[in-house]
Amino acid sequence: MRFIRLADTSRKSVEAAFEEARTLGHDSVGDDDLLLGILRADEGIGAAALTSLGVTLEEAREESEGMLSDALSSIGISFEEIRRQAGDAFEMRLPPGRRLPLSPRGKKVLVDARKEVRRLGDDYLGTEHVLLGILGTQGGTAVRLLAGMGVSPEVVEERLYQFRRQAAG
Amino acid sequence: MDEKTRTQVGWPQDPREGLEAVVALRRMLEALEAAQVENAFVAGWSWARIAEVLGVSKQAVHKKHARRIRERYPGEPPGRKGEDA
Repeated sequence: MRFIRLADTSRKSVEAAFEEARTLGHDSVGDDDLLLGILRADEGIGAAALTSLGVTLEEAREESEGMLSDALSSIGISFEEIRRQAGDAFEMRLPPGRRLPLSPRGKKVLVDARKEVRRLGDDYLGTEHVLLGILGTQGGTAVRLLAGMGVSPEVVEERLYQFRRQAAG
Repeated sequence: MDEKTRTQVGWPQDPREGLEAVVALRRMLEALEAAQVENAFVAGWSWARIAEVLGVSKQAVHKKHARRIRERYPGEPPGRKGEDA
């Protein structure tokens, strides 16, 4: 078995994903958080591909909150109204000191990222491999989040491979 | 209750939507609990009194909320008069 080096870019992105999940009040780190993490760390080919398509961290966060709001309104609850009534003390951020696990989808993304490394014959695991893992998660939250921003997995993949070719010179 | 009424009272027909609503509600519940405990603390309520109304032990409410609230209000917050006010 070949040794796969975890690139600094992807390590930072995964750390940023945990921080994003905490900020949004998620009790585990999912495929959507890993996507936000890539945007937050803003490093590597994964981040470059997303940024070049106009996907920003701020908009992705808004989209994520929009999905939460939609889910609540489907059972007749207004997230905006509750937040407005609750006032300043209300925030989704988790309290400090709570440890978050990866969600099953989050785990699958990282396992798939390793598969992508082998498939592409690379010797490092970068943000592009994590992003490919995210894009391959059928029915995942991240793919729907991107769709909400008008970006399809195919377009992101295409851009990603284009950036890889450029990086290879 | 027929299908139409169900939809009206907030029962999504897509199971995924319904399950995601549960997750969203759980996240919001945590945020609401934190906000309400903080409000009670600022209003001068003791941990024991907050815990009693929440129906949990004083230790449980302290463990979950004390660190966050202490960080937010170093020293005694305004309006708070002693632990058992």
